[in-house]
Amino acid sequence: MNSFLEATYEILSSSSTYMNAALFAGLLAFAATGEWVAERAGTLNISVEAMLLTGAFTSAVGFHLTDSVVVALFAGAIGGVLVASVQAEMSHRLAADQFVVGLTLNILAFGLTGFLDREIDPTTKLARRWNIPVLNEIPLVGKALFNQPWPFYILYALIPLSWWLVYRTRWGLELRAAGENPQSADVSGIDVNKRRRQTVYYAGFTSGLGGTFLVFVQVGRFDDAIAGGRGFIAIAAVIFGGWTLRGTILGCVVFAAALSSRLSIQGLGYEVNSELLQALPYIVTIAGMAIFAHRVRAPAALARPFVRGLK
Amino acid sequence: MTNRSVDLIGADDAQASSAPAVEFREITKHFGAVTACEEVNMTLWRGQIHGVLGENGAGKSTLMKILIGLVMPDRGKILVHGEEQQISDPLDAAALGIGMVHQHFSLIDALTVWENVTLGDSGSLNPEAIRNRIGDIGDQYGLVIDPYALVGELTAGLRQRVEIIKCLRRDPQILIFDEPTAVLTPEESEQLFNSLRNVVTSERRAVALVSHKLDEMLSAADEISIMRQGRIVDHCLASETDAPTLARGIVGREVLLRSEQAALGVARTEQRSLGRDDRRSASALTETSVLRIERAVVRSPDGFRLLDELDLEVKPGEIVGVAGVEGNGQRPLGDLLSSLLALESGRVEVDGKTISSGRPGAMAVAGVGVIPEDRHDSGVVLDMTVAENLILTNPDRFAKRSVIDLKMVGAFAQQMIEEFDIQCDGPFAPMWSLSGGNQQRVVLARELAQKPKVLVAAQPTRGLDVAAIEYMSSRLRLAAEENVAILLISSELEEILDLSDRIVVLQKGQVAGEIARGEADLEHLGLLLGGSAL
Amino acid sequence: MTGDNTAVLGIEDPPVVTIRTRGRIRSSEWFALYTVSIAGALFLAGLLVEATGGEWRPVLWAMLDGSVRRPGRWGETLGTAGPVLLVALGAVVSGKAGLVNIGQEGQLLFGAAVATYFGFLIGGPGPLNVFLILVFGALGGAAWAGIAAGLRYWRGVPEVLSTLLLATVSSQVVAYGMRWEWLLLAPQSSRGNRNQVSSQLAKNNRLPRPEIFGNEFPITVHLSILLAIALAFVLGRTVWGLRLCTLGNNQRVAKRSGVSEKTYGAGALMISGAFAGLAGGAMFAGGGFSFGNYQFMTGFSDNIGWTGLLVALVARERALLAIPVALVFASLRTGSSFVGSTGVEGRITDVIQGLLVLALLIPPAVMYLRDLRRARAAATARV
Repeated sequence: MNSFLEATYEILSSSSTYMNAALFAGLLAFAATGEWVAERAGTLNISVEAMLLTGAFTSAVGFHLTDSVVVALFAGAIGGVLVASVQAEMSHRLAADQFVVGLTLNILAFGLTGFLDREIDPTTKLARRWNIPVLNEIPLVGKALFNQPWPFYILYALIPLSWWLVYRTRWGLELRAAGENPQSADVSGIDVNKRRRQTVYYAGFTSGLGGTFLVFVQVGRFDDAIAGGRGFIAIAAVIFGGWTLRGTILGCVVFAAALSSRLSIQGLGYEVNSELLQALPYIVTIAGMAIFAHRVRAPAALARPFVRGLK
Repeated sequence: MTNRSVDLIGADDAQASSAPAVEFREITKHFGAVTACEEVNMTLWRGQIHGVLGENGAGKSTLMKILIGLVMPDRGKILVHGEEQQISDPLDAAALGIGMVHQHFSLIDALTVWENVTLGDSGSLNPEAIRNRIGDIGDQYGLVIDPYALVGELTAGLRQRVEIIKCLRRDPQILIFDEPTAVLTPEESEQLFNSLRNVVTSERRAVALVSHKLDEMLSAADEISIMRQGRIVDHCLASETDAPTLARGIVGREVLLRSEQAALGVARTEQRSLGRDDRRSASALTETSVLRIERAVVRSPDGFRLLDELDLEVKPGEIVGVAGVEGNGQRPLGDLLSSLLALESGRVEVDGKTISSGRPGAMAVAGVGVIPEDRHDSGVVLDMTVAENLILTNPDRFAKRSVIDLKMVGAFAQQMIEEFDIQCDGPFAPMWSLSGGNQQRVVLARELAQKPKVLVAAQPTRGLDVAAIEYMSSRLRLAAEENVAILLISSELEEILDLSDRIVVLQKGQVAGEIARGEADLEHLGLLLGGSAL
Repeated sequence: MTGDNTAVLGIEDPPVVTIRTRGRIRSSEWFALYTVSIAGALFLAGLLVEATGGEWRPVLWAMLDGSVRRPGRWGETLGTAGPVLLVALGAVVSGKAGLVNIGQEGQLLFGAAVATYFGFLIGGPGPLNVFLILVFGALGGAAWAGIAAGLRYWRGVPEVLSTLLLATVSSQVVAYGMRWEWLLLAPQSSRGNRNQVSSQLAKNNRLPRPEIFGNEFPITVHLSILLAIALAFVLGRTVWGLRLCTLGNNQRVAKRSGVSEKTYGAGALMISGAFAGLAGGAMFAGGGFSFGNYQFMTGFSDNIGWTGLLVALVARERALLAIPVALVFASLRTGSSFVGSTGVEGRITDVIQGLLVLALLIPPAVMYLRDLRRARAAATARV
């Protein structure tokens, strides 16, 4: 028992633990922030996985062609938005079932990136690390939050921006209305499906950035297993967070801790059953939802298509 | 039918000062083979309330939608302040100073009052300015409201206030009210019309008031146009007409049937006493109640008491009317008796046996039939056939070893289709291919075919035309004569007065008062609804 | 806001009634739409091949070779279609109940693992043991889906996510089982230097593989077709089917009519898992080169679960329609193994699969919207 406590202490006091967790949390936060916006407007967007994967691939190709991480970032965003365009147009223009479209996109993205990866085989690298003076000296979490490859810092703008968009702009008011009561929003003169499409595009944009993050901050190279279900964990974080942005980010951190535990624990030389560690994030996610899902109120029209005249 | 010249109407100061606010000229709109509007001429004057009267489907809503830009006319012109205008969407209408207060609220519960009020505006979001505007409007018209309140927590009256503020915020010169009193107490309705009068006279705005209620028209409007089958069939000053004349105009013939009169609100107390003969009510009194609800408490998921110690009894052959302003427990009461809600405390007894509430199908098995308030919500399955819908609640009756006997089902459905005169392409036509009235007949047929002990009819005539209302009413009376206990939940007072042996009034989930039919009249009931003591 | 805006309905007389037109949709229109969509998808795939320096024609021939033309290949295709169809039938059941079970891959894997464990544990006389392997496969799949059902009906966790996340957990659980000889791992002696495989199923414990015209396939194929017919009957003609469809279409009507959302919903989810698990058991006992040759191993499910799910979606939850769709998707799969020889990456078939599914979603959506537009006009007419 004593040795268990010691081990726990060592893990918790090692800054590498926080470094690992921050990388996973960062990735989840990119995807979850956009997903949160989309869900507030009424789309349970399961193609976020495809957006991450496609974003990761297009960013890798972008870098491969230009040798510039900035270009890679744009390319990643475009990749995410491409997937979003299919999801948005098919489910909020053609009224196809959003789960079916999302699922198909996930499978298509997996096949397509796998196929093209072998055909193109892009070379990539990690982005340059930026060290923020003073702040990075905060004990334990300083390095994790302020000594990261530079794309990490986009989050510090993206999260507040998303909050501001949803709660402080007319666009945000309208998308919340679309997610709560599309019929009433429609009568008030809001183009519900247009708002929903826009939020899916936004989710594509942030998840595309997330894909870039995955390649250039976390992993360093692309392969088709790189997303590995992280997109679904991002969706779970939104549910865990009760559809508030604060809760969503908290969910990202909690799930990231579980995701990174394998690296942290094994990195310090401890032996823990590896299957358990690999399953842990998913089990924590499921348990988190089991505890919180029925306590929170989802947007009333979440996952319900809006067709004028159809209740 | 006298057809007065339109030009003579409102020829007072309004016309003298300027051109009419709105002039419809020969507006025609067809939808396929159906005529919604045919050569409609109508004039709205500033400083006047113009009533548009007609039954469901008469074309009045289409006409208003043309004005607000939701429907484009096939032919005809609209002149606003004397100039011809092309109104192709609600934004055009708003730019011309035309605003509409919708029949069913266009509000969003999860948002605050100020957020709701600004919904549909354009430009950047300025909460401070919006809240100030709400305060100003409140002061000006006596429509005071807390801008930070969540709309979902407001009463129906206050919600409508928000709706009106939402409309007035753009300072429209032309206002359309579509059935504004459906969810209000008589008192709240009166308040509404007072502020409406204020808006009209002091600020010389033009108002179009769409309604199917005669007395409301007579008291609130200055002039009245009656629509029937897409045409304006009569046009008169409110001060020069009376209810029977208007009723004739709406239906196009003398109104004889009691339920028709009730539906139109022309029935008077003395006619009502000709209702079901008192022998029945007398005999009913001697029997014990078949439905007994005792101290029923039902809570919403967020802890609000939907039913609060409700007591109610219905005897065989008795029709008990449940009156009350919408949102006072009618829907939960219907849901409780459909096994859709569970009791927190109290009990429901049918025929002396306590029924386990909220257990799927328990009420149906115990002999409680339900015609639900919203048939699409809990009455029919649109993606199934008529026959399947007819056997939904009791499929075992048509199955051998749980395999459904299609022949038997088909024969049963055919029989029901004939007996209840359901218009459809045979027993295996999909439910969605039926009109609303015929879907309602399917529900009625299914519930009555079960030979229920208790029949709950929640808003059974909502959205039906006069003939269908008459059919429904006679069916309910017939069922009562066959000793079914009937609980009639309705927000139409006239319907309740017409059919019920006994009337209870719901308020905040409780029975606030009870009146025997002999003592009931509109005024008395109205006071009860408004919350006055007995 | 243009002509589309014919009416803000829901203001008077809810027009849900007329969400479809009365007019029958002409089959020629359907045919044209589907042809255009599928051709579009195939064109895109061909374009992709050409753009990456390949040629589409050899790829197409390779796929035909792999799926039907070469000796023994159509038997292989049928053998693949069997489990795919079984999974699809399960997805049809959950779909009819209005549930979105997308974790078949995990349910299949777990079912196969359970079947393997008990298959070796019991080791009874041949035919009985084969039967038990299938039964335990189904039970395993049902149990795994049962977790999601429990979470859905008692904790309010959306089944879309729980089934999906459990699919990942399932592969870890199975990997754990593969570490121990007392669970799934074969004894050292019989696995040689290969890790992570189970023992091989004894010859008398395997599903029969009849041979027809030089093609052989396990009787999983017969079983799955029989089950498809049976399921179509059960859903269309029995009280249980009627009630399940009621639940899927309108929960409130269902509850009022005595259909318990918990028992029917959880039941449908578990049956759906049982079909996936049955597919897993049948893959184990039915063998075939692509399914581990009577040995269980990590990664055993090999995307059969996902493919089956897609089949159900494309067949629009119709059990009988799933039969031909399963055949098409199985052909894509068996065809892909021959594509590699053309110098084009074999995963092009995954792309084709995805594009095809997307393409097949378009015609119903277009038709629906067109109907809606007409219906809206009709509904407005009544207002």
